[in-house]
Order: sequence, then structure tokens, then C-alpha cells
Amino acid sequence: MGKTILEVKDFSFTYNQAINKVLDHVNFRVDRGSFFCIIGANGSGKSTLCNSLVGLIPHYFSGEMEGGIRVDGMDVRKSSIGELSQKIGLVFQNPFNQLSYTAGTVAEELAYGLGNRGVPGKVMQEKIEHMAQLMRIDDVLSKNPTELSGGQVQRVALGSVFILDPEILVLDECTTQLDPLGAEEIFEIVKKINGSGVTVIVVDHDMERVASYADEVLVLSGGRAVKIGSPRSVFTDPELEQYGVNPPEYVKISDMLRKKGYTNRETAITEDQSIQMVKEALKG
Amino acid sequence: MEMSNDFVPKNTIIEKMNPNTKLLAIISLGISTLIFPNPALGLGVLIFLFVVSCIAKIQKTFLKVVLGFGIPITVMLLFIQGLYSPKNKTIIADLGFAQMGLEGVLYALKIVVTLLVFLGAFLLMNKTTHISNLVAALTDLGLPNKAGYLVLATLNVVPQMQKRMSVIRQSQEARGVETQGGLFNRIKAYIPLLGPVILSSLIDMQERGMTLETRGFGINGVRRTTYVKATRSPMDKPLNVILILFLLIVLILTLLMKFGIL
Repeated sequence: MGKTILEVKDFSFTYNQAINKVLDHVNFRVDRGSFFCIIGANGSGKSTLCNSLVGLIPHYFSGEMEGGIRVDGMDVRKSSIGELSQKIGLVFQNPFNQLSYTAGTVAEELAYGLGNRGVPGKVMQEKIEHMAQLMRIDDVLSKNPTELSGGQVQRVALGSVFILDPEILVLDECTTQLDPLGAEEIFEIVKKINGSGVTVIVVDHDMERVASYADEVLVLSGGRAVKIGSPRSVFTDPELEQYGVNPPEYVKISDMLRKKGYTNRETAITEDQSIQMVKEALKG
Repeated sequence: MEMSNDFVPKNTIIEKMNPNTKLLAIISLGISTLIFPNPALGLGVLIFLFVVSCIAKIQKTFLKVVLGFGIPITVMLLFIQGLYSPKNKTIIADLGFAQMGLEGVLYALKIVVTLLVFLGAFLLMNKTTHISNLVAALTDLGLPNKAGYLVLATLNVVPQMQKRMSVIRQSQEARGVETQGGLFNRIKAYIPLLGPVILSSLIDMQERGMTLETRGFGINGVRRTTYVKATRSPMDKPLNVILILFLLIVLILTLLMKFGIL
């Protein structure tokens, strides 16, 4: 970690025929290998930012763009989506909309992006087997992807993106439509991917999860980057709620315990820290 | 969700043939029947297609589709062309209210057999070829990525829209909208469904387009590969030669007949 892999510099974007900027002079950097989370209220520009990172803006959606984004040295404005897809992959919210609808089986679905790059059959097969194991979908490889559960399809979608060996993986609320178990399965896999050195950028509304996984958190509000820092510095910021973001429940619990004089420990932002704090308070 | 392609594996030699050979058969047999002036050739091709359907073990479906489409269209065209065609000169039957002419009957039969040859040949390909196999074969031919996607997506999107329509209909029913009953009731119920179905399909389409782009759909200058390898059989090459020769012979015969040499 430490070396910047993605840089967003003074980036603004206004969709065609829209009056207001969706993103307004956004600045931030993401370190290589880090787990970076983007949070914010609905309409704060999170999805637009994700689309900008992978080049869908300006190559797929047109509008007025200022500033720039560099992905591992590549200028998003000057590189095609196809070129950028070799560096950065995006997983969307609705798992079923991420299927290519050209595949009769999960294996074919995983192979779709590889085929677009002309990967030979033997290499394709090896990659599919490896990805199926990593995504825990090896038992459904010969099934039709449209017949799987939402959680399984999302893992297929994640596998279809990650099989292309991107250095950065962007997940735009990819667990919103899944049950808690399915969501947790996805995050366990993502954490494993991150552990192998891949930079992960996640948009999520589950603040407890963000607090426990993120190395760094960016808060978007009205298209502006209003806060960036460690989960602790972001979630203990008293101004956070005015940006439409509620801190994890653990923060509220530890604040209450401290106010009532049960503890002097620093604010708990994760489950483990919170349990520890409550235990100590009960002892005292 | 199932694809619209009706392939059911039966392990026959027809199934193992390269899909491009089947496509060539549709083109060669269909065009031959279309250009040849006499319906006898089309009839012969139809009998040949029935034999192929027996080898492919789909003769029941073949007969059902061909007769189901063929009988009503034959009756209709015989009535229109046989009785009222301006080409009619040789009267073969006098029905009282109108006279049936040989030229009109032959013309009607020609149209019917041409339609049935195209329908039968396409049915054979559809029933004996998995859609992924077809696209792999077309990719081998150098078919552009976008054209291949168009074939697959078209076959896939229709069932998906049907599924969505069914979900929206059920939710409308749950709110008390009457969707059953007479024709008028059904039409009345289906019109409000069209808006949500079309709009949501367009939104899905946009997200799907974004997904495809980020998976390298738009990459240029790359010789694409497919996971599914197109099936090949030793019969493909000789059959391709025969089909091309057949079309050429029919073309020459047609020209000779047209210029009065034959």
C-alpha cells in the first residue's frame, strides 16, 4: 500500500440536459491494494462517480466534464472503456442486469469477457475453474445463470468481472438486492480478493460493514467530496449526519456509555470494539 | 428463463453437424425453391427435409409445424390465386361462382412450398443447434461481435420480457385489476402493462449495455474466441460442396428455362 493507483483531480460532471452538476470538483486518491469505501445519501453522486472511474463517463454517458481521472496512469478521458477494463472492473447493483444474456451456462458467462479479448480456449478453461472456486460457484458451472438465486448470480457477475484480472475492482451497491447472508458472502470474497493485492472501491449503505472493512472512507454529499479519512475519523465526525449519513450503531452505543460515565475508551466503530466496551462497562 | 432457441439434445448426426452447414442448407434449398419456376422442386426439397427430420428424431414436431402452417395457407392461397389470379388461362374446375385456373394453382403451390422449405429448414436448424454453438460457428466465420450479440440477445430478451410481463401482470392482479375473462377484458388489462414493461426493459437494457462495455464488448482489433467450440462433422465439407452445386445447377436450369433453351 501507499502508492496511488487512482487519482480523481478536481473532477466535475453534468449530464446532458441537466442543470446541476452531479459531481462538483471532487478530489481524492486511492492507494494501491487498499479497501476504499464511498458513502453518501441517495443522489449524492456515488454511482456517477463509479461510472466515471471505469470510463462509462464520458464514453457511454455524455455530458460536460471538468478535471480528470487517472487509473494506474491511464487518463480516463483518453482511454476507451475496453482499454480501461484491463485495469478496472465494475460490479453493479442488479445482479440479473449484469448477465451478458449470451450464455447458456455459468461457465459461458464467465468466459464472455475473456472471449472479447481473444483469450485461447485452454487458458479460458483454467481461469474459469479458478474463478468458480474463488466465487464458490463451481457446483453451478453447467447451469443456466438465469436460473440461479440472486446471491449466486451476483457471485457470477463478480467472477465475470474479476476473471479479467483488473487491478481495481469497483462495487456499486452490489449487495443491495441480496439477503444478509448473500451480502456477507460477497463481502467475504471481496475481502479475499483485496487480500491478494487488488484495490477495492466499494459503494455501500451498510455503515457497520463499511466500518469493519474499509481502510479509507470518502463521504459524498450533493456531488461534493465532503470528508475523506479513516473509518474512525469519518464515523466519529459530529457533522456526519448533516450529510445524510448515519454512523454505525456502535458509535451511538459507545457515545451513550461514555456520556453516562461507564467508559473512557475511544469510540467503538466496529462490533468487536463495541462488545469489548460493553463488557468493560458491565464489569465497572 | 429459457432461451427462445428450442434445442433439445438427441445425439444425432444432424445435431453434430456444423451450424454453418445448416445455415448454408437454409440458403441453398430456400433460394433454389424460390427461383425455380416449378413447385415440383420445392415439393421434392420438402420431402428431403422430412427425411432429415426423421434422422434428427424430430419428425413429429416437423410435421406438426409444417402441416399446421401449410394447410391453412395452402387453402387460403389456392382460393385467392386459383380462383382470382389474373394469370389464369387454363380452367381446371368450374365452381359456379368462380373458375379455378391452373396457372393460379401452380403459383399458389409455388409460394406455399417456398415458405414451407424456408420454415422447415429453419425449424430443423433451430431444433438441432444450441444457440451458443450457432454463435461459435458464426464467430469462426468472422461474424462481427455486434451481429453475434444481436442474434443471441434477441433470442434471450424475448423470454425475459415475457417473464417481466408476467410479474407485472401478477402484481396488477394482486391490486384487483382484472386480467382474465373475455377478449375485451384482456386487451384492457394488457394495455397498462405495456408502459412498465417497455420502460423497465429499456432501463435494464442500458445497464446491460454498460456491463457489456466494461467486459470488453467494444474492444476492436481482437480476434474473438468462444468458450463453446462449434460442432464439426466429417459430413460438413462434402455437404457444403453439394449444397453450393445444387444451388448453381438450379440457377443454371432456371436461366435455361427462362430463355426457352429447356
